[in-house]
Formats: sequence, structure tokens, C-alpha cells
Amino acid sequence: MSVINILWRNIKWRFHNAFTIVITIVQPILWLVLYGTVAGQTMQGMGTLNYTAFILPGLIVLVSFSACSSGGIMNYLMKTGGRFYRVLIAPVRRSSIVLGQILEAVLCTFLEVAIMCIVSLFFSVRIVSGIAGILLITLIVFMTAFFISGLTYTISLCLPNEVIYETVMNAIVLPIFFLSTALFPADNLFGGLAAAVNLNPFTHVINALRILVFSETVLISSVLPVILLLTVMCGGSFALALWKLTREMSE
Amino acid sequence: MPIIQVQNLTKQYKNGIQALSGLNLTVESGEIFSLLGQNGAGKTTLINILTTYLRPTSGAATVFGKDLYREAAAIRSWIACASQRTSIDTHLSLTENMMFQSRLYSVPAADAKQRMTNLIDCFGLGHYLKYPVSSCSGGIARRLDIALNMMTNPKILFMDEPTTGMDIQSRMAMWDMLKKIRNEFGTTVFLTTHYLEEADRLSDTICIMKEGRAAIQGTPNSLRSYLQQDMLKISFETKESAGAAFERLRHFHPLQPSDLRGDSIVTNSENSRGDFGKVNRWLLEQDVRFTGIEVMQPSLDDVFIRLTEDTEREGRM
Repeated sequence: MSVINILWRNIKWRFHNAFTIVITIVQPILWLVLYGTVAGQTMQGMGTLNYTAFILPGLIVLVSFSACSSGGIMNYLMKTGGRFYRVLIAPVRRSSIVLGQILEAVLCTFLEVAIMCIVSLFFSVRIVSGIAGILLITLIVFMTAFFISGLTYTISLCLPNEVIYETVMNAIVLPIFFLSTALFPADNLFGGLAAAVNLNPFTHVINALRILVFSETVLISSVLPVILLLTVMCGGSFALALWKLTREMSE
Repeated sequence: MPIIQVQNLTKQYKNGIQALSGLNLTVESGEIFSLLGQNGAGKTTLINILTTYLRPTSGAATVFGKDLYREAAAIRSWIACASQRTSIDTHLSLTENMMFQSRLYSVPAADAKQRMTNLIDCFGLGHYLKYPVSSCSGGIARRLDIALNMMTNPKILFMDEPTTGMDIQSRMAMWDMLKKIRNEFGTTVFLTTHYLEEADRLSDTICIMKEGRAAIQGTPNSLRSYLQQDMLKISFETKESAGAAFERLRHFHPLQPSDLRGDSIVTNSENSRGDFGKVNRWLLEQDVRFTGIEVMQPSLDDVFIRLTEDTEREGRM
């Protein structure tokens, strides 16, 4: 009940500050529309049938980062007034406080991913794997956003103000995005670069989403390891956020 | 019956700042308890500890006999706090804010609606239901914030400097509100302030805090000699002329070394009218050059100087 109450309050905040949705989706949409079109024409000779469909999974991860980062900003805004403090001294489980905020960022991510998918329809992007594929994509997006949101919640409690927070988030997101298979396949990479891309968990998330976009039949063995990986990451990120919130009160 | 008991409480922050240094105090049920102290005295730290937000470094504190640290979850159901910064959500209406607060404390919806109506009527806030919360002035927002915190029927309402920065009309409206909270709702009010007049007018008990510990605690009546003691202030052109006059005047009128304060002499006076005339006459007869003489009420600084004098005197005895 407390989770829903906090989630309701945060959703109201999000729609009251609708510009946070616009700001966080602008960049991924520009990538999808402009970069997808321009680079798509260049890539025609490389065997990629629809380059916009190819980069869509990477952009889903990018938009998850943007939406969830703005969830961290909420902590700073609440701390500016006494709202953060008021909720913390209420008889509410600390886990409900964290979960309510994480779920709002997840819902915002879903909204933005839905917009991205609708836009991509105009570029002939189709989810070939059908309803089952869409359900699996939904699950992976949920887990990805949950993990990132837990992480941004923790980071926002560690850093002193929103300017530093934004800088740090940019410094984290861009290397993760470029050192993955978001824009190019990793087949021709070798050495340290290949290892870095392979070590990036989002490479595997993007690859799994890409399989679900392009393959008619989905082998569970190609998606299950990613779901297991995300389960562990979600658990870790939630525990970290909870630990940081508890520490915030004991310092 | 004591509702809050604090014993030898200390709090040292990670950056080394010692906010509380062995604080002891007791708050009785149903009273307005004022914690009086300057900025940095440790008032907000104490409120943060008593509301279960911060953990003390050492010492013991109980609320309703329950240990503040080990039984924090139980204590949270009985308390609310209007912090220095208003906690009202400006993106929600007043009604939505109140319902959100009641759901945080698991108050049934029907009870919450009834309580909301009562509070709005009692505090005369009906007018503000029509306007967005974000358009309210600071004083009104503070009153809405307190009403919001009363939604959960707390047994103790903590208030951290509720009238700081308010004009006199807003302060008086706030004082009325606090009296209603105690008299009509039976809620114990734990208030911090640095206004002597406010503490004196409102409180059943006052605790004066200095450098992280309680300097003195008592009823306004028992602290009258500190809070309402008239003071005689004689101003001079320079520090030197004040010093010279001080040496001569002390043979005529009893003065403490601490009464010489820069270019003024400030001394307690139990008979301010008589002392004013007597000292004024003496200054004129002795042809001492001074720029002004007045009877004034003590500031918080004066109270602390007085407390320090008394402590030193007791130490010597």
C-alpha cells in the first residue's frame, strides 16, 4: 500500500513536470530518426536489412538511462524542501520508499520506450518474434529500468547536488552506450576493445533485445542467461539503494 | 508523565562537528515544550534524532518509554514533524497532500476525510483549498504544512523554528495555531525557536540550550529572571570612554565585569525605572559623556551571558 502511495505521488510529480519526459526522450528520438536514417543508408551494403530496427534495442537502453536518471533528480528536489525528511520519519518501510521511487522511473521508461517503438513503426521496424517476443522485451525493459533506477537512486544519495549528479551520470552513460553493441555489431572487434564490449552487461541486454526484434523463433537459451543476469543485477542495485538510504539516516 | 526523556545524548557528525554534548532533558505529556538556542546550538540535530531521522553517537533517548533507536518503527506512528523547510508537495493540491500523508500513516480513508475537514475548519484554511499550494506565501505554506502534519493525529508534533522569517501577523496566527494544537487536539508540541518572546508566551516548559547541552530547563515563571529581566543600557562614543565610565560607575552602581560590552554598558536591573533615573542623574552630575541610556528587554545573547555568570558564580561557591 505504501509503495502505491509513494508511486502515486511520484507519478503526479512526473506529469506535473512533463518537461522531464520530453527532455529525456529527445536525444534517443534524434538518434533513432536522424542517425538511424543517415547511418542506415551508409550501412546498406553491410547486410543489415533495417538499421533503425538494429539500433532500436540500444536506444531502448539509452532511453532507460535517461528516464531513470531523472528519477534520481527527484531526490534532490525533495531534499530542497522537507518532503524527503517527512517520508523518512513516517511509519513506512524503507524498502517501500525505495521501491515506490524505482517503480515510477520504470513506468516513465515504459512510456518513453512505447513512444520510441511507435516512432520506429514509421521506419518499418517490426517485432518479428510476435506477442511472445513483445512480452519478453517488456520483461527485459522492466528489469533493465529497475536495475538502472536502483543505481541512479544510490548515486543521487551519494552526490551532493544535481549538477555533479548530471555530470557523473553523463560520464557513466556515454561509455556504456558506445562500448556496447548499440550502434554496431561486435563481430569484427578484437583485443581489449572486444573484451570491454563483452564485459559490458548492456551488450548482452541489447543483443537479447535484438534477437527478439529480428528472429521469428526465439530460443530460450539466447534470452534466459540475460534474464538471470538482470535478476542478479536488479537484486544488487535494490539492495545498494536500500543500504544507502538506511545509511543516510544513520550518518 | 514524561513523554520524552533524553539522557547524556551526544552527536558528532562525520565531519567532526560536535552538535550535541551530553544533553539531558524531559518533556511532559500535553505541554508546549520550547527549546531555545542560537543558530548552531544543536536544536535541529536534536529534533532530527528525536524524530528517528538521525542516530545519536551515544546516550539514551526514549519516546513513550520506547528506545528511540531500537523501536523507531513504533515511535514513528505517534510523531510528526514540521521541519524548517516546508514539506508540502507543491505539485499536489492541499487535499491531495493531506490524503497522501494520511495514507503514509495508514489512516482509513473515511477517518482521513473527516479529520481533514476538522483541521481545515479549525485552522481556518478553507480559503486556500481553491488555490494551488505553490501560490501560497511562506507563512501560509507553513500553516498548511502544520495542518498536513496533524492529519495523522500525532501524539507529539515537533516543530523546527516555525516562525523564523515571518512577519508579526503571521507569527501571531502561528501562535494561535500552536495553542489550538495543544488545547483542542491534546498534542504535545516540541518547538525550537531563537525568539525569547515566543518561548515565553507559548511554553509550559522552556529549555535553554547552549553548545550542544541544556543550560537550564524550567517553566517560564521559574526562568523569569532570565527571560523578562529588564536591562539598562548606556551607550558611549568609543570603547575607551565606555571602559573609563565603567570603572567609575561600578563604585556607584553594582556591575559585573561582563556588563562592559564594547562601547556600551549593559546591566540587569530589577528596578528599571528607579535605576534609570538614578544612573542617568549620576552620569549628568559627574559630567560623563554618553550618547544614550535606555531600558531594554534581554536578547538571547544576554540570557546566555547571564547564565554563564550564574554558572561561574556557583562554581566559585
